[in-house]
Amino acid sequence: MDVTSKTSEVPEEPAAAAVTEKVWKAGRLEPMPIRKLPDAPPSLHILGPTVFLVALGVGMGESYMWPRLVLVFGPDIRWLFMVGVTLQAFVLLEMARYAMATGESIFFGAARIFKPLMWFFYAAAILIYMWPGHLSAGAAAFEEISGIPWQVTACVALVFVGVLFSLLSVIYNFLEKLLGLLIGLLVVGTSVIAAIVGNWDDLGRTLSGMFAFGYFPDDAMTSAWFPVVVGSIAFAGPSGMQQMWYTLQLRDSGAGMGAHIPKIRGLRAANEAESMPSRGFMFDTEDPAEMAKWKGWRKWVTFDALLLFWGITMLVTVSFTVLAMSAARENPNVAELIEGGDRDAALKAMSDAFASAGSPILGTLFFAFIALIGLNATLGLFDSFSRGQADMTYYFVPGAKRFSMSRLYAGFLWGVILFGILILLFGPADGPAGILDTLAFLSTFAMGAYCIVLLLTNNMLLPKKIRPGPVRNVIIGFGAVFYLGMLFYCLFRFGVAVG
Amino acid sequence: MTDLKQLAEYCVPAASVGAAAGLIAGGLAAFVGQPAGWAVVTGLGLGVPLMLFGSGYAVLVALGKVPAGVFAPAAVYWVIAFPLALLVHSVVTAWVITGSPGLPPEPWKFLAFRALVSMGFAIGFLWMQEQIGRLWWPHILDRNQYARRVVEQYTHLATALAARKAATGRNR
Repeated sequence: MDVTSKTSEVPEEPAAAAVTEKVWKAGRLEPMPIRKLPDAPPSLHILGPTVFLVALGVGMGESYMWPRLVLVFGPDIRWLFMVGVTLQAFVLLEMARYAMATGESIFFGAARIFKPLMWFFYAAAILIYMWPGHLSAGAAAFEEISGIPWQVTACVALVFVGVLFSLLSVIYNFLEKLLGLLIGLLVVGTSVIAAIVGNWDDLGRTLSGMFAFGYFPDDAMTSAWFPVVVGSIAFAGPSGMQQMWYTLQLRDSGAGMGAHIPKIRGLRAANEAESMPSRGFMFDTEDPAEMAKWKGWRKWVTFDALLLFWGITMLVTVSFTVLAMSAARENPNVAELIEGGDRDAALKAMSDAFASAGSPILGTLFFAFIALIGLNATLGLFDSFSRGQADMTYYFVPGAKRFSMSRLYAGFLWGVILFGILILLFGPADGPAGILDTLAFLSTFAMGAYCIVLLLTNNMLLPKKIRPGPVRNVIIGFGAVFYLGMLFYCLFRFGVAVG
Repeated sequence: MTDLKQLAEYCVPAASVGAAAGLIAGGLAAFVGQPAGWAVVTGLGLGVPLMLFGSGYAVLVALGKVPAGVFAPAAVYWVIAFPLALLVHSVVTAWVITGSPGLPPEPWKFLAFRALVSMGFAIGFLWMQEQIGRLWWPHILDRNQYARRVVEQYTHLATALAARKAATGRNR
């Protein structure tokens, strides 16, 4: 069951509606026409667009950075992970509020407030995400299993993703199914491995550490570790601009008013794409029936945020922390390597520890799951980046509307793929060393900035009845202070961006 | 009246999840150079109990005891079934290695830990069963009352999809 099968029909409207059209004025751009909100699907479901956030969010933060911090500072440091992921769950709910109420992306919302805000995200996305370094961990893990050099795997994966996304008719439907299957496999697999090699005491310590609020050892306040702790909190769940892209996936899944916006198609089927409306839509918040449907949609997305996003992110990181603790117990050398910070050496040592403790299968399985995490992230990242840039280009770059959204999507997709291949073959995969700090800074800065954008869009652009309550506003405001505060503290106190 | 052949056919997606777990374990064992017999035993030791328990859950859904696609009952079911499946795997593995079957040390702690981890397996199981089911069940709908019953639970959603697709593109 994909999410589109859970979204309900777009109600019929009389033809006369266009003549006496009611509109909702939001910000400085074109007003949103009033349309019917589709019926909400049942709130209990298995798959939804959150599968993209899970695919993007469950990455190195969960499988490496947090297990590493636990080995260095003990399980009690995990309360910071708890705060980070819970904050991200609230961000998800607020991103969904704007996207489902209007059918617009959060980028469009930012432009309604102040266009340069949107251009900041446009430029930041290109700077942060055009480097193919994110492919390296998964491809390196695959090299450990198969012996194929990681650059070869990464280049083949890039071309494969480009061809695949170009041939598809409707990209969203396929990707949701594929990522759903891959994440299902990841969840089943990590549960089974953790169940085989972990034990009660490891799990007990890992879980109790999530509630050790306020624990912050002196060593964590050093210039060596504070940037790493800040980076790890920023990488708890989706990092950088991943939450903003989620609004585009919600729209393409047909959630809320997104049902009125056509889907992005692959290049092969781009001619069949329907024309994009020039702005989103609003529903009549004075109509009690519409408000009842809105409550249904909020329930639906809350289920996504709690079970799929929060639950799976927690589960994967708890499993990997338990794995790291048992690996360190089997082989004390692992703890040193993990603490030392050489990611590839540490992952290899963990794999070896499992292989010697249980059987070689466990070591190989461990690498297989790191590779799987890399594949999920790659699929999700390329789609999301292209979707976000295509959206902003289509609506705000003069003259871009003569290309369809699907063609712009293909343009960005192939652009980032070709650039990625060139860099993998000839350049530094993570980006030039001189700007690495700038990229890390931008990535965390974007998270603080989107919290501010969310406060503005949801409180200024939406009708009163569907604005967030004071508690939600305080939490998102806390998010802005939290991300930006940590970032600037790190910068001014230690002179470095996040680690 | 319960038709066992139809039930077995309907349970293919649920059993596939356990089979996939077993195949991965066994296949990788062979891949890294373990003796073929060892790989087969490891794969079967993990795969068979998970296949059986997975089919058991699917039967509960087919007989209307549990609603389709809902998480809570699956979590309750696997909190018992998952530790038992891993206990079987542990006993079988010990049997192969030592020559005689034996329980793991501190069996209650062993079971309790796996019960906690089971929540993750429950999510993954439901997720994968649904993904595979929507490819398999439509093929057997005409002859299988259980597949029909489960698919009917999703029918109103499918109808909604068709209506929405037809409507998309209007009113812009």
